[in-house]
Amino acid sequence: MEAGFSMFKRKSTSKSSSSKGLSKAAAYRIQTEAHEWLMNPPSEFEYLPSDDLSRWIVRISGAKGTLYENESFLLQFDFTDDYPMEAPEVIFLPPAPLHPHIYSNGHICLDILYDKWSPAMTVNSICFSLLSMLSSCTKKERPLGNDSYVMRCAGGRSPKEVNWHFHDDKV
Amino acid sequence: MSTGFVSANKQAEILKDQGNLYFKKNRISAAIEAYTEAITLCPKVATYWTNRALCHKKRNDWERVEADCRTALEIDKSSLKARYMLGIALLEKNEFSEAIKQLEKALDLSRGGTSDMVEVIWSEVGKAKYAEWEKVALPQQQKQKALREFCENALREDYKNSLFRLGSNNKAQSCGALYENIEDEMIDINSSDFLEIDKTTFEVSKLKSSFVEKKQTLDDVFDKAAEYYKPTEVPEFLCCKITMDLYRDPVITPSGITYERAILLDHLEKVGKFDPLTRAPLQAHELITNLAIKEAVKAYLAEHAWAYKTY
Repeated sequence: MEAGFSMFKRKSTSKSSSSKGLSKAAAYRIQTEAHEWLMNPPSEFEYLPSDDLSRWIVRISGAKGTLYENESFLLQFDFTDDYPMEAPEVIFLPPAPLHPHIYSNGHICLDILYDKWSPAMTVNSICFSLLSMLSSCTKKERPLGNDSYVMRCAGGRSPKEVNWHFHDDKV
Repeated sequence: MSTGFVSANKQAEILKDQGNLYFKKNRISAAIEAYTEAITLCPKVATYWTNRALCHKKRNDWERVEADCRTALEIDKSSLKARYMLGIALLEKNEFSEAIKQLEKALDLSRGGTSDMVEVIWSEVGKAKYAEWEKVALPQQQKQKALREFCENALREDYKNSLFRLGSNNKAQSCGALYENIEDEMIDINSSDFLEIDKTTFEVSKLKSSFVEKKQTLDDVFDKAAEYYKPTEVPEFLCCKITMDLYRDPVITPSGITYERAILLDHLEKVGKFDPLTRAPLQAHELITNLAIKEAVKAYLAEHAWAYKTY
């Protein structure tokens, strides 16, 4: 064995000071997304500024002519060091919208957030997916077994640890 | 092969392992000593030289890093570590163009390696290129600025003199003062008064439009020249959809989408065997280097060297 590849350790030239242990690649990507967002702010969503690069709060407003018109909700994005190889953890902050795929604790049953994640997706594209999920809803109700699910998650379980079954493609 | 030679080989390996151990414990002098002994026994093993160079690097002893890396490269031209550390050492010595040459060779050698490695080398190349560019660009920028001011003044002066000349040739006394208004819209003189004045007005407006035109051309030329120094947005089509950064080593998938090689390999391993954008099935062996995009990035960076600063 050679003396190891420790020489490839990065000198910290990182642009971000508040990236809270994010890798340089993850921090760069999140910063670029933030920059992009700032340059072309999407009209449907509002980024609530914070110092923490690894947690975004985004306000999402229900589209006109849908069940959620005039309502707005807060989404919380938590990025890991492995982003974008790993999906961010995305939940609705209380009160979560009343929707057959959204549990009352804010957990969202949407495949792209879990096993259908792709690193080509962004906060922006996730927001649009969630907006279209809300817009296509025809009946405001909680998912089946909401209470027992929420109870099981009571210990602060992340939705990413859940084995999701994506059986319903209608909504 | 004599038994003596074999044992020298073995002895050197043992010394190297010792050196590695010392290095890990941050006992750099002891590590250097061990590697030096290994080198004395078997001077033809590049690794001993690069390992010792790594020790020197830790001490910021760049002269020695350079010397050991150069020896290592004489033994093994394809030693990635030797190229990389030599590049770093040259960078520290402000020998930018030579550093860039070595680091770019290291980058080529690192192809197919981990994304971290490619990234680190790339960022060193970027640093070197930016430093080299800055060294030339800053004084150039100053010179251009000075020249621009000089040209603008000369144009103004010329315009002013022409107006004065016109003023002394004609009776219209007001002409001399007209140059004060050179930046304004066409000077409006009550033309119904005299034919003489009409003629003067015509001459003045001719001078003025000629001045405005020249000034515009001058601005265009210098603005164009200044673009080279002005950071703007990096074009999206030269950036990977995953890294959101300029391509370093672009590969194209059967779907026709181009990605950064290292990050895409990462994706295939960690996320799944599919094209991140189209979700079509994808295997690592299907990737083809996108030489055209690579050239395009190179050309872009040659024109916009400030873009290296992000690395």
